[in-house]
Amino acid sequence: MTRAVAGVGAICCLGGAVVLHAAQERWSPPQVDRPELLYVRSPAVAKRTALSYGAISADVYWIRALQHFGNERLAPPEHVRNYGLLYPLLDLTTTLDPYFSIAYRFGAIFLGEAYPGGPGRPDLAIALLEKGIAAQPGKWQYVQDLGFVYYWHLRDFKAAAATFQRAADMPGAPSWLRPLAAVTLAEGGQRSASRALWQQLAQSDEDWLRSSATLRLAQLDAMDIMEAWRQFRRDRGITPPVPNDPSGTPFVIDPATNDIAVARESKLFPMPGQIQSSR
Amino acid sequence: MSAIRTRALSKDYYVGFWRPRPYRALDNLSIDVEPGAVFGFLGPNGAGKTTTLKLLMQLVFPTSGEAEILGRPVGDVTVRRRIGYLPENPYFYDHLTAEEVLDYYGRLFGMSAAARRQRVPATLDRLGIGAERRLALRKFSKGMLQRVGLAQAILNDPEVLFLDEPMSGLDPLGRRDVRALILELRDQGRTIFFSSHILSDAESLCSRVAIVAKGQLAAAGSLADLSHFQVLGWELVMSGVPPTALDALRSRARRVQAIAGDRYVIDLPPDGRPEEVARELSGAGATLVSINPLRETLEDVFVRRVAEVGGGARR
Amino acid sequence: MNAARCVAVAVFRESIRDKVFYNLVLFGLLLVAASILIGQLTAGQDVKIIKDLGLAATSIFGVFIAIFVGISLVSKEVERRSIYPLLAKPVRRAEFIVGKYLGLLLTLLVNTGVMTLALYVILFFLARGVPEPIQRAWDAPALDPALLKAFALIYLNLAVVTAVALFFSTYSSPMLSAIFTLGIYVVGQFNADLKNFDRIVDSPAAIAVAKACYYVLPDFSKFDIKLAVVHGIPVSNMFVAATAGYAALYIGALLFGAIVIFSRRDFK
Repeated sequence: MTRAVAGVGAICCLGGAVVLHAAQERWSPPQVDRPELLYVRSPAVAKRTALSYGAISADVYWIRALQHFGNERLAPPEHVRNYGLLYPLLDLTTTLDPYFSIAYRFGAIFLGEAYPGGPGRPDLAIALLEKGIAAQPGKWQYVQDLGFVYYWHLRDFKAAAATFQRAADMPGAPSWLRPLAAVTLAEGGQRSASRALWQQLAQSDEDWLRSSATLRLAQLDAMDIMEAWRQFRRDRGITPPVPNDPSGTPFVIDPATNDIAVARESKLFPMPGQIQSSR
Repeated sequence: MSAIRTRALSKDYYVGFWRPRPYRALDNLSIDVEPGAVFGFLGPNGAGKTTTLKLLMQLVFPTSGEAEILGRPVGDVTVRRRIGYLPENPYFYDHLTAEEVLDYYGRLFGMSAAARRQRVPATLDRLGIGAERRLALRKFSKGMLQRVGLAQAILNDPEVLFLDEPMSGLDPLGRRDVRALILELRDQGRTIFFSSHILSDAESLCSRVAIVAKGQLAAAGSLADLSHFQVLGWELVMSGVPPTALDALRSRARRVQAIAGDRYVIDLPPDGRPEEVARELSGAGATLVSINPLRETLEDVFVRRVAEVGGGARR
Repeated sequence: MNAARCVAVAVFRESIRDKVFYNLVLFGLLLVAASILIGQLTAGQDVKIIKDLGLAATSIFGVFIAIFVGISLVSKEVERRSIYPLLAKPVRRAEFIVGKYLGLLLTLLVNTGVMTLALYVILFFLARGVPEPIQRAWDAPALDPALLKAFALIYLNLAVVTAVALFFSTYSSPMLSAIFTLGIYVVGQFNADLKNFDRIVDSPAAIAVAKACYYVLPDFSKFDIKLAVVHGIPVSNMFVAATAGYAALYIGALLFGAIVIFSRRDFK
């Protein structure tokens, strides 16, 4: 092969490659890189340094997020809990891998969790979910989770119902979302609607989601018991003895309000409605 | 048709980083080698011998001029089936054995598996490589590598052989073997072109020589023509010389020196007729140990050639 | 092209003797260790993480081999001067280059193939014993055939990197060749950012240069479909074919370029 032939070959091949590259750009947009997710803050830097190993880096951040949350939550009672890293870690995980659905859903449940069980930041949960919805507009599970955050952590029933409705309208959404929206809208704040939602989540395939749902149902049961106890006191005029809550720990009477409450040591503490920020 | 032919072959290397200047490694070399000749390409280190061989193998490209092997231009790949090449200080592949290297080269020559099965062991036997042929080449000494180099050069039964310093790195036994090999190949009618800076090798093997120095051809011709390998004197070593004979010697010899016991080195002038002196001394009871001519070195030849011819020697 | 084939087989044999394939042992150990440890840590994401690890490790190990062996293909022969007796044989310089390239491609093919198999075996054992409903909830099945597409594109990626390494090593020292090749690999990953340069920078000259670089330099991010495959997002065969075509053309350009350079090189 003469040099001239090889030279011409080199130029032709390079030209062909450039043309094909341009054609691919025009006809099928890049697979994973969506401009909406290129924030100009540290997740973007992480994405650059990860080169094309974003997926495994996302896994690393996910593991760290779990460990951070677990370490804080399961620490001895004297430890002052600080969940400050949870959102950034989940944010990094989902920037490196925008399809990492478990990270979004985990964030949905636990970012809004009231302190000291979690950071108590439903606003961050919403931000994370919106990001997930932007990455995968067709994923109704994220919209459902969004509705859940409004309902459970923010107690904004109108927004929750509207969100459940939005989820119900998405293709592939399950049929029980529409009645859920309706129930939320109509009754809002009532325990029966809550119970329906938690019972659905108690059948999830994820262990931690199941145990979370079981806890919530137990809390609802506790609320029923407390309600019955108050009713009894009103009707009879005497203070009955405090029973055990569904987790086995006795209720206490809060001296400040003279009302029945769940004990601090109980597994069910803190009860919903006791939303405090961890800031 | 010549076996090897060059016409005004020149090679410039560029030295220097910022303003590269040409360094003329070979200047206008024109030589002709007939088929069947053993051609000695002689010169001091740095004379351009290796450059010439590389130009012939097209490992480097000429700045100007042309070269042919067996009537075809040097770049012709088909001709390479009929030639063999031994580079200076050859090096092959650490991880292969001698057998495997030859087999690899055999495949490159296009030899069939049957041909390789026959030729590879035969060639290794011919070069005296025995059980070591199964050792990895990284374990080979320099002398052994030189033998492997010769083996791969003759593997394809070449018509023309190019050898760059074939004796380098060999002990006296090895040199004798290589000399015998070259003579055997010559007797088979092959052309051998070898470069060396050792004059005695050329003398015992070559039919024709060329002398290069500083990139230029200083002399070319048959050994008989180049009889300017003049004898400058004779060195006679005798033992058992009776002291009476010694005094008579001193008038005829330039120098007489005693070495170890009763041996004497007798340094005679060029016309000193060493065979007569030896006969006389033997008659007196001494024993001949050796007679050696003292010759001009190659540098002397070149310098003298240049001085003889004057400016005309620079072509 | 018999000579090219001979050289290719010689390269493959040298890879074996130089113990290149021992990296497979490391790969296997890594996957096994990870699959044992990771199950405890990640709330049910083992399969996804093992897939990520397997694909990432295949890519990283492969890139190392492609660069470091690729660079030494030519430079080792030249440095050791074993190229002198070689080129005196009936081998054209172009055949030498092509043969060296094909030899390393063969080595990488075997390496990647074994890694693919190893990953499938580990996934098989990992997925055994996991109940059916949970498996259906995964984004992608454990023994997903789409993984093969990811491996194929990784292999093409390695083929292009090898060609880059070979191209530079025809005239540069091994050190420089390594730096250039690694540099092109890294820039090629960020290629997409070059296209969007106009969002970040104001100077039109810089944007023009960036766009030119985007089109001419190899775009390695194309070959990365690991995310999509692991999450079960379908990758069209059209895309794979077009990317393969791009790889082939780019490799052709680099090999022709290497031949152009190597054909007139003096071996002092």
